[in-house]
Amino acid sequence: MSSPLLEAHDLHKTYRLGQVDVPVLKGCSLAVSRGEWLAVLGSSGSGKSTLLHLLGGLDRPDSGRGEIRHEGQPLEGRSARAFDRYRAQTVGFVFQFYHLLPELTVLENAMLPGLVPGGIGAAPARRRVSNLLDRFGLSHRLNHRPRELSGGERQRTAIARALANDPQILLADEPTGNLDAHTGAEILDLLAEAHQSGLTIVMVTHDQQIADRADRDCRLVDGVLSVAEGTEPAPLA
Amino acid sequence: MYQPLLTSRYLMTRMIPLLAVAAVALCVALVIVVISVMTGFLDMIRSSGQTLMGDVVITYPIRGIPYYDSLISTLEQEQDVKAATPVVDTWGLLRMPYPVGDAKESEQVQIWGIDPQSFSQVTGFAETLKWSEIPADTAANMRWDRMQQLAPTLVANLDLDARVRLLQQSAADEVGDAEPSVIRQLAANATRDDLARRLLHLAWQPDALRLVIGDEAMAAIDSHDPRLGERGLVAEEGRTLQRGGRAAIVSGLHVSKANERKSTGEYDISGGGYWWMPNHEATLTTLPIDSRGGLLDPKSIVLPFANEFASGVFLIDQTRIMVPLQIVQDLTNLDSADIVDPDDPTQVVGHVPAKATMILVRGQDGIDPVSLRSLVQTSYRRFQDACIEAGQSVPRLDRDPGLRILTWEEQNASFIGPVEKERELMRTLFSIVYLVCGALIVAIFWAIVYEKTRDIGILRSIGASRMGIVWIFLLYGLFVGVFGALAGICLGWLVTVNMPAIHEQMSSPPMWLGIALLVVAAGLLLWTISKYRGGQLLPVLLGTLGVLILAGLGAGELVLRSSGGIVLWDPAVYYFTDVPDAVDWPSAWITAAGAVICSVVAAAIPAARAADIDPVGALRYE
Ligand SMILES: Nc1ncnc2c1ncn2[C@@H]1O[C@H](COP(=O)(O)OP(=O)(O)OP(=O)(O)O)[C@@H](O)[C@H]1O
Ligand SMILES: [Mg+2]
Repeated sequence: MSSPLLEAHDLHKTYRLGQVDVPVLKGCSLAVSRGEWLAVLGSSGSGKSTLLHLLGGLDRPDSGRGEIRHEGQPLEGRSARAFDRYRAQTVGFVFQFYHLLPELTVLENAMLPGLVPGGIGAAPARRRVSNLLDRFGLSHRLNHRPRELSGGERQRTAIARALANDPQILLADEPTGNLDAHTGAEILDLLAEAHQSGLTIVMVTHDQQIADRADRDCRLVDGVLSVAEGTEPAPLA
Repeated sequence: MYQPLLTSRYLMTRMIPLLAVAAVALCVALVIVVISVMTGFLDMIRSSGQTLMGDVVITYPIRGIPYYDSLISTLEQEQDVKAATPVVDTWGLLRMPYPVGDAKESEQVQIWGIDPQSFSQVTGFAETLKWSEIPADTAANMRWDRMQQLAPTLVANLDLDARVRLLQQSAADEVGDAEPSVIRQLAANATRDDLARRLLHLAWQPDALRLVIGDEAMAAIDSHDPRLGERGLVAEEGRTLQRGGRAAIVSGLHVSKANERKSTGEYDISGGGYWWMPNHEATLTTLPIDSRGGLLDPKSIVLPFANEFASGVFLIDQTRIMVPLQIVQDLTNLDSADIVDPDDPTQVVGHVPAKATMILVRGQDGIDPVSLRSLVQTSYRRFQDACIEAGQSVPRLDRDPGLRILTWEEQNASFIGPVEKERELMRTLFSIVYLVCGALIVAIFWAIVYEKTRDIGILRSIGASRMGIVWIFLLYGLFVGVFGALAGICLGWLVTVNMPAIHEQMSSPPMWLGIALLVVAAGLLLWTISKYRGGQLLPVLLGTLGVLILAGLGAGELVLRSSGGIVLWDPAVYYFTDVPDAVDWPSAWITAAGAVICSVVAAAIPAARAADIDPVGALRYE
């Protein structure tokens, strides 16, 4: 097996609430291989989103307590600019609440990552997301505002946005959490399709059934990741 | 670049930033108008300096500079000196020709004795002369008087053809399309009184009159005053300070109370043109002062008016009169005279030369007044040395404190200085307005950043940097600043160039404006009442405020109108008869640039806050 695409070692994350420290992650480790679809299961408040934000370079672990590596290179110590690049080029986020910009159209929302520094540029992004949106059945919605869309349509737009810069890794935070079972299944079909064509996915959910769609799942309990039954522990480094 | 897309969308989808644009526009317009008017005012002062006094002045009040002719020729030997002219200035009383009766009014005047020809070379005097010919009403009055005397002869000399022409000219509406034969019949039957009456009316239509009575009879009517027939004579008499060969006064246009300035800037002469000064005489009285400052017996002289001048400087036009130099020298005892032996008055023991209290010097074009002044100083020393050598006593530079050589600006420093300071003070004070603008932008953008917290989190999650977020709002500030500044420049320009018109409207506000405001207020009231039914509070509050403001403005305008308006630019206060109406463009651009910078700086504060938003926190909830 080749070295993992994304690894986390002994991650700690503590939030401060006033005077009280609230430890959320207490030594999380995981490894995601290239092309793998990993599901992280955990109850509400267990720290799933926190973990995903750390993996996506949107937040940092407690200083000196844990490390994230991408292609074997640690993220820690990189410049703010390098973090921005990492978010722009390497990962794509999908959120439970879609998080589209209300003033922009579907097309503009989806191609937005192409416009940030490090993105693939306006014209290529437009081509790419038009294609994706077409495949996602949204070609008639390109010039609509998010508020005119259903939840499923919004999430499909968000997935197109996450894929706009052709990232290596998709980080999905309960992508079906706000959808009915049928629409949720459609969204999972899209993820499966993207996974088929080689995309690495880390998806968090509290629903075992949804986690079953992934190649492998693990469980976040008490700030520590434990390997779920029936799956091999990922080799670390 | 995603910032322009977001900035423009944020701008287009909400109204509040328009408030910021409007605030910036109003500030810019306000500053431009105020500064432009002040600058126009200063420019008027500056240019009036040359018009009135040339570039440099040598003054030696009361006692005067003797041998000024040789001083002037010394000065004029300099290449950079265009011309120099002697002036005697003093104060006096002018007993005006009005009103009818013996109790005439008197005006206190500043008398300038000038040599008109050289004076016109140094100053813009010839261009300031008001009358180039007799005003139409006055001329009509004069012809009417004359025709009344001549009426019997004039009528007797009218042949039938002339009578027909008279009927056609004077009674066009009565005889309009009548048959020629009918008109001839009417003309033949007309009484002499009727014809005389009709003829007199034509005094107001000189061209028609000439057509009826012919050139010869016209010449007879105009013969009593050559100015009626000869074009340009009035101006010529003004330039030479004489009327009909007599030495005459050219007075400032506001010296005579008969000249009434209309709000259009034109002048009405009271008495239907009768009180046109160049048809009258006045008595000029001075109190000469001897060389020790004692008062001598008053001296008086009766002088006709030749013309009037309008320099545009109200203070000058209100008080100054121009009189031939020789006459003022006589009135002030500065004329040349023989000195006689006190024991034997027939024995001439010496001679005093004529004197001038001021020498005005004009430089060649492009010579700056300060270097001209030092040139004049050297020339004066040369003149002074030559006089001493010849045993003539003249006031000496640096010895006689009364003798001063100053540029026009120095001479009037006490006047120009405060105005300049005032302008800078205005600039500073009004720049504080920008702080208000800036605060408004900070507040509005702060609210937008707050509202857009989640968007900022999303943007960070797709790779936008902190600086990238900052740029969204800086660009936003730039848009607001640029649009506001441009709108402000347009508004400021419109107001400034229409200043005279606006000023005139304020002195007699139009009725329609007040009524229109009240009508709009009434409409808004109906709208508010309908909204009140709907039960929403905000539209009712805004509507009520709008109604109150509009109704207040409308009613105020009507009240103002009925009480005769307000005159903002009172020439008696601002020295100039005209309101400045030119935009001070350098200041305007600086103002606009300041507004743009101010907007961007103000936007930077909320922008920095936006950059500091924690993306994780922003994305946490819906
Ligand atoms: N900025 C913060 N300050 C304080 N506490 C925080 C902060 N962010 C997260 N937490 C706490 O950390 C814990 C984990 O939060 P997180 O959002 O990662 O949970 P989650 O597993 O994603 O839950 P859910 O399934 O409800 O989305 C929660 O108890 C939350 O209250
Ligand atoms: Mg979560």
